[in-house]
Amino acid sequence: MNRTLVRGLAAAALLVGTALPACAQEISFTDQEGRAVSLAGPAERIVTIPMPMASSVIAIDGGTEHLVGMNPVSKAAITEGILGKIFAESRDINDAVTDANFVPNVEALAAVDPDLVIQWGGRGGDLVDPITNAGLTTMLILYGTEELTRGYMGMTAAALGKPERFAEHVAWRDEVMKEIEARTRDIPEGDRPKVLHFGRILNGMTASGSGNNYTDWYINLVGGQNAAAELDGSKPVNAEQVAAWDPDIITLNNFEPGLTVQAVYDDPVLSLTSAARNHRVYRMPLGGYRWDPPNQESPLTWMWLANLVHPELFQFDLRAEMKAAYKTLYNYDLSEADIDGVLWMDMQGDAANYDAFKAR
Amino acid sequence: MSASNEGLAGVARLSVPVSRLVATYLGAIALLALTLIAGIGVGRYGVDPTRIFAIIGQSIADPVRELGEVDERIVILVRVPRVLLAALCGAALAISGAALQGVFRNPLVSPQVLGISQGAAFGGAMAILFGIWGLPLLAIVFLSGLSALALVGFIARINGRSEIVTVILSGMIVGAMFSALVSLAQFLADPNGPLPAIVYWLMGSFASTTWERLLIAAPGLAIGMIVLWGLRFRLNILSLDEAEARSLGARPELERWLVFALVAFIVGSQVAVSGIVGWIGLVIPHAARLLVGHDHRTLLPASMLLGAAYLVAVDTLARTMTAAEIPLGILTALVGAPVFAVLLRNHYRERSGR
Repeated sequence: MNRTLVRGLAAAALLVGTALPACAQEISFTDQEGRAVSLAGPAERIVTIPMPMASSVIAIDGGTEHLVGMNPVSKAAITEGILGKIFAESRDINDAVTDANFVPNVEALAAVDPDLVIQWGGRGGDLVDPITNAGLTTMLILYGTEELTRGYMGMTAAALGKPERFAEHVAWRDEVMKEIEARTRDIPEGDRPKVLHFGRILNGMTASGSGNNYTDWYINLVGGQNAAAELDGSKPVNAEQVAAWDPDIITLNNFEPGLTVQAVYDDPVLSLTSAARNHRVYRMPLGGYRWDPPNQESPLTWMWLANLVHPELFQFDLRAEMKAAYKTLYNYDLSEADIDGVLWMDMQGDAANYDAFKAR
Repeated sequence: MSASNEGLAGVARLSVPVSRLVATYLGAIALLALTLIAGIGVGRYGVDPTRIFAIIGQSIADPVRELGEVDERIVILVRVPRVLLAALCGAALAISGAALQGVFRNPLVSPQVLGISQGAAFGGAMAILFGIWGLPLLAIVFLSGLSALALVGFIARINGRSEIVTVILSGMIVGAMFSALVSLAQFLADPNGPLPAIVYWLMGSFASTTWERLLIAAPGLAIGMIVLWGLRFRLNILSLDEAEARSLGARPELERWLVFALVAFIVGSQVAVSGIVGWIGLVIPHAARLLVGHDHRTLLPASMLLGAAYLVAVDTLARTMTAAEIPLGILTALVGAPVFAVLLRNHYRERSGR
């Protein structure tokens, strides 16, 4: 009798013991559109439709096993950039689940059998309803500010069951941001160089204005001012308007394949801007993801731009920072050649203030 | 129309007093000159008027000189070709609209009716999708505009003849088909690569005008305008009843297709360098008709002058109103559509009143 009771109690204890962690594994949170998201356990098959999220998932997760689908434009960044070298298997991840405009191909999506789909919110039901109607768990994120970026990265880490990865990441972002802000907060407008970012420049120019724009935010963070601040969001502009703004620094996007700084130096009007005359034209680096939009390497973007906008105030050792960051994010040791590739050293090595980024 | 009521005599005599014609032409020329000067003088980058005169004077004296200053480059390399191209396109589109309206004997048609603009736009969208720019893009746009026309001809030709109504309907069919194909191209394009270019270009813009583009489009536009102007008597006759026209020695079928081909030539050249610019061919001939009457000998030149002035004015607004460059098609539609609505109502009120 007693032995049976003891065995019974032991069995019960064992059952309760194993059941408790299973309950604790259930993950639920509210996404950035206020929807409740709940997962039975850490997500094992994630599809990312927003472009920066593919590399963010890989970075937070520390590998590619849990990423099963991504945006074709994310794939382009992987194959052109260094992430495809660090994680060779990422080149084989399915990118047919959505088109470049974030419209999901639901059948391809369902075929991949995801347990979590990350999608943009705030852009209408056409992007979201097909996914939720198919019964797939969806997490919606919003673009624009550093706060939102941290928010959705935190959710992604929670979904992956790795909140501690996020905690270290956000601590790093916060540290760098505060360090830069402390020195730039009080810079008056007259001492802030005008920075102009071209979202497109070949075959028609668009400039990044202010108003829910991440680029505008970090230009101001590093002590510059947005030359195109009067524009609301990203808008088409002509050469005359750029000449009227006369930016001190020009940055180019990473979305146009084959874009080089010659696009500015060869243009008859753009080549006479202060930026071009002083050789302060730079293409944004392409690392684990494009450095222009918000992503897991953003603090590196801020440091890079701070060194270029205010070389007298900031002398970050970018190469060392990159090596440390890539080790933490991807467990990868950057070579000197890798860093030169990310920073487009071949193309803009002789640009103003770029010596600070050269290998010693 | 007055010509058919008065027969032969009506065709030969001008229906509007000479003094009014002269006043209209002088006014239109003055207006064109004004818009050209304003176009070269204003812009987001402020340049002093005296400085502009100096720059232009120096360039006329020495056309191949090196342009070192940014204001020189803006005036000579950005504004002047843009204003000239807008003027040429405005004139060419207006005269093609007037010619089409004469051929169809209906003032409510334009190059878009024949599906030529849509065909040219499709060629351009496909070329951009495959990353083709420059001269090959122009060739593709022009050829696809012509192919749209050929398709219309093929569909409309029944038993060796093509009725006007059939041609209009075929134009609508072909136009709708090419529009759908353009939407397909947009759907397939990568938003971070060619797509924004396609969308922006389909709304029409002279923002990317350079001297090179001007020189590429100018021959097509000029030849089209000159030959259409040469057909002015024929157009008067084509606006007669078909039997009357044949009895006067015209060959309406052949001449109609000649006009169509010239319009395709003009529209293809224009779409190739600036995307689809609509409403010019529809609205300007009406305004010209109000001033100088239906006779093509006076209507065509008046349309050209007014069309040129109008498009230069609208394009100048598009690039100066705000810091962002407004696509031209938006402005021409915003102005053109209400004006056209008024003209439409007047036209049908007149028709039912007779």
